[in-house]
Amino acid sequence: MIPVLNPQRLSVWSTERPRATIAIVVLIAVLFAVWLPKVRTDTDPKNMLPPTSDVRVLNDKVEQWFGLHKDMIVVGLVREGGIFDTGALKAVERVTRAVVDLAGVVSADVISLTTADNVVVEEGTLRVEPLLSTIPETPDQMERFRAALLGNTMVVGRLVSQDGTATAIYVPLEKGANGKEIADKIREIVRRGDTGGIRYFVAGDPVARDTFGVEMFRQMAVFAPLAGMVMLIALYLMFRSLILSFSIMAVAMAASIWSMGLLVAVGQPVHIMSSMMPVFLMAIATDSIHIFNEFYFRLREAKDRRNAVLETMRVVGAPVSYTALATAAGFGALVLGEIIPVRVFGIFVAFGTMAIRLMSFSLIPAVMMLVPERVLLAARDREDPEAGASRWLGSLGRPSIGRPRLVLAAGALLLVVAAAGIPQIRINNNMIRWFRQSSELAVADRVMNAKLAGTSLLYIVASSDEPGALKDPLRLRYLEALQRKIERVEQVGKATSVVDLVKRINRVLQKDRPEDEILPGSRDVIGQYLFLFGMSAKPSTLENLLDGEARRANIWVQLKSWDAEAVERVLGAVKSFTSVSPPPGLTIQPSGIAYFNLVWNDEVLKDMVKTFIAALIVVLAILAISFRSLGWGMLSFVPLLFTISLIYGVVGLLGKDFDMPISVLSTLSLGMAVDFAIHFIRRYRQRLEEHGGTTADALVWTVSRPGKGILRNAVLFSLAFAVMLASSLTPYVTVGVFIIAMMMLSAIFTLVYLPALVMLLARRSSEGKPAGAGQS
Amino acid sequence: MCGKGTTVVVLAAAVLLTRPVPAEAASADDIVAKSQRAYFYAGSDMKARVLMTLASAGGQKRTRELTMLRRNKGDAGEQQYFMYFHQPADVKAMTFLVEKYPNKDDDRWLFIPGINMVKRIAARDAAQSFVGSDFTYEHVSGRDLDADEHRLLPDEKVEGKDCHVVESVPRSAAEYKRKRAWIDKSTLLPLKEEYFDGKGELFKAFKADEVRSIGGVPTVIRRTMTNRKTGHTTTVSFTDVAYDAGIEADIFTERYLRDPPGRWIK
Repeated sequence: MIPVLNPQRLSVWSTERPRATIAIVVLIAVLFAVWLPKVRTDTDPKNMLPPTSDVRVLNDKVEQWFGLHKDMIVVGLVREGGIFDTGALKAVERVTRAVVDLAGVVSADVISLTTADNVVVEEGTLRVEPLLSTIPETPDQMERFRAALLGNTMVVGRLVSQDGTATAIYVPLEKGANGKEIADKIREIVRRGDTGGIRYFVAGDPVARDTFGVEMFRQMAVFAPLAGMVMLIALYLMFRSLILSFSIMAVAMAASIWSMGLLVAVGQPVHIMSSMMPVFLMAIATDSIHIFNEFYFRLREAKDRRNAVLETMRVVGAPVSYTALATAAGFGALVLGEIIPVRVFGIFVAFGTMAIRLMSFSLIPAVMMLVPERVLLAARDREDPEAGASRWLGSLGRPSIGRPRLVLAAGALLLVVAAAGIPQIRINNNMIRWFRQSSELAVADRVMNAKLAGTSLLYIVASSDEPGALKDPLRLRYLEALQRKIERVEQVGKATSVVDLVKRINRVLQKDRPEDEILPGSRDVIGQYLFLFGMSAKPSTLENLLDGEARRANIWVQLKSWDAEAVERVLGAVKSFTSVSPPPGLTIQPSGIAYFNLVWNDEVLKDMVKTFIAALIVVLAILAISFRSLGWGMLSFVPLLFTISLIYGVVGLLGKDFDMPISVLSTLSLGMAVDFAIHFIRRYRQRLEEHGGTTADALVWTVSRPGKGILRNAVLFSLAFAVMLASSLTPYVTVGVFIIAMMMLSAIFTLVYLPALVMLLARRSSEGKPAGAGQS
Repeated sequence: MCGKGTTVVVLAAAVLLTRPVPAEAASADDIVAKSQRAYFYAGSDMKARVLMTLASAGGQKRTRELTMLRRNKGDAGEQQYFMYFHQPADVKAMTFLVEKYPNKDDDRWLFIPGINMVKRIAARDAAQSFVGSDFTYEHVSGRDLDADEHRLLPDEKVEGKDCHVVESVPRSAAEYKRKRAWIDKSTLLPLKEEYFDGKGELFKAFKADEVRSIGGVPTVIRRTMTNRKTGHTTTVSFTDVAYDAGIEADIFTERYLRDPPGRWIK
């Protein structure tokens, strides 16, 4: 039997049967790998929350009440010389026609100048027809069309920009349609024919989401191997042994295949977080560096290779085990959150981490047994505790050992700076910002938000128990006042409601003067207007704003930003309005994709606080158990605390959005950044126990010998994530920057701050009991 | 009620009725013309109380109730419709008058009692919904025979009844790109229709739920139109149906819009 549970016995077993060990690891990897071809992705932000969550249930209901569609692509058409041009309008007509016939498009509900209903009275006849029913040919006709369009309050901002240079086509998608594929087809339609001098922009949530999905796959396929290559080269430069370097990569690859394979096997899709799993596991696998680091030192001391391996495993085994446990706990804590993809990510990285630990005690010793002796000896000779990085590290450690108070004071100052930044952190998940500023999508969104009323959609729904309630003039007037209040909020481009429609009908039935654009005072008249409109218009035009029973009305709010803050402002305005003037027998609820994003943000924040605290407790417990001392456990927490406070402080000071990827990182960083402190403190205490000597001597030794492993680990980890800085998707860049900062900072704090702290504590305890062992 | 080319329907029907044509030689056009005659033109006039139930996929229901008076005007295919709305309550006493002409758009007038105004309303396109239901105006009053190219498919049975199967592809604007109709050989009434869109997908389906003989005239007294894309359905039931009731021609004038004829509308 393979002694899996006891790491020491596992490494003994593996050194005896190196080939069998490798074969077993490969076999298991193959078993998991067979699942990989079945992988599928899910980048729909909606699936971040379970289908049973309140916001999704409400959104589904609202869509049903008003016949709305979940996903909408917005095509912006811009002509700097103005869209009031026969050629340009012909192009709008051509594109609309072709878009209507695309598979996956809800043909009946495509809204453009040529399909949107408009109510007019001409020569005493009421007409409900598309805004653009015949394309004007003469300048006279064109001028009339322009005046009619720009004078129509329901249309300006939505279907024509105030300055007349832009129009839009709103393309609702059927359930399950792929936004990127349809966006690509729309771009193709545009290219195929005469564009009438118009520039086209394709935007909207489904395009962003599905483009992200495709990009995610592509980048995952590039960055995971690239990170592996970079690490391999760095490892080779450090250890001069290709086989040893490759063994760390093999551990990382095997762990990635195990976890990814398991993820696919249990039927989970790959989300944005889990797509980064291989890179994370690769970085976590660098923990094995401590094994090599020590092994090379041991090889100088013990001449027999097998003994060197077993000795190494004996001294490094415990820290490697505990760091793996702490890392797994950090990821595992994510399970306590509500956001499904984050939970999945946590579980599977925790699983991968444990797989890495298992292989650290089996595959790594097995490979060490198989490496040709001369390679080892050559490499060993380069590892001189008095040379290179070790000496440099030793000199780095001395000041903090000599002048601990100064170092501590400097650290305290940094904390103050961080404390100033942390409250300024802004939680915000804005998918458009997941793309680079210069990307086609981000540009499209910017242009359209500048020209038109906005691409982000929020619904404010007013409901009553009583059928017909929303034909009541009193309630409609209330709705109108609320709408006006919402329109005044910054970032709101336009708000549209059934009130606009009723007023429009009143205007055209009366004398068609602007002053006729008012709400009639009688419920019957309003009911008759709406019936009249329903007799002539597309049913969806009215249904989108008022449900069939007139129990509920929907204010469409177009926002010029996908930021959560914009939605918060609107909801703040709604709240202050309803508290000053309570709604007459109506309940007011927010809904729609923009509202979902806000709820999601709150969940991210709640989750972060919850999982962070959980990880804090679990990791602290593991540390305390590992050191069999709460004091040492707390001490090993200090570098981590500094690292995280500093990073958050800077994030806050820079005004960078704090989105889901960052918040996830905060929890798991607890488990990863604490590694260095575990190695440091364990090895320091071990040294003191086994060799005696002064605190200062032991600290200098720790900084220069295990410290070298720590630094190597941090550099390697950073290199692996550095490749992500080249990504075109900003969450990957963010994760890269965050992890590099975290690793480098926690290494530095461990090597500089911990010695100072240990010195100071040792001095204090020796003051308490004179002639103590810890005297320097 | 939209109507260019209705003449063609009527003329074709008239020709067919006067000249014996062997049954086996019946072309698709003949069958469609006869079916339109049976479905839209039965009797010299007709009155009925119509109940429309509009149901959303979510189960929300709305009703519209109206009295419909219809009169065939001459032999050229002109028709007049007078509708009086009983339900929903806030539109009670709204009236709607339609003059259907061959070869040109209908004239429509609506009386809005709340502001005591009669307004002329322009016809829109072929796909225009009838009072917000899943039926279009064309479903209510017919589409020109010539507006589509008709083709016979092999006969099929619908609920045990022998049917002609006709496939129609529009020549002029239509809400569909292809339509299939199952026409009962004995009554010539459509029992089933399927409408396909530009993507070749079925988007609307018609079903004659109940056919009854009223004074010897086979009449579809309950029919359903389902929007397959949205799950929205509209069911229309006819009660108090009478043919050749002697509805006076002057009822179909603006005066009666404001002051509906009590004799016909209860």
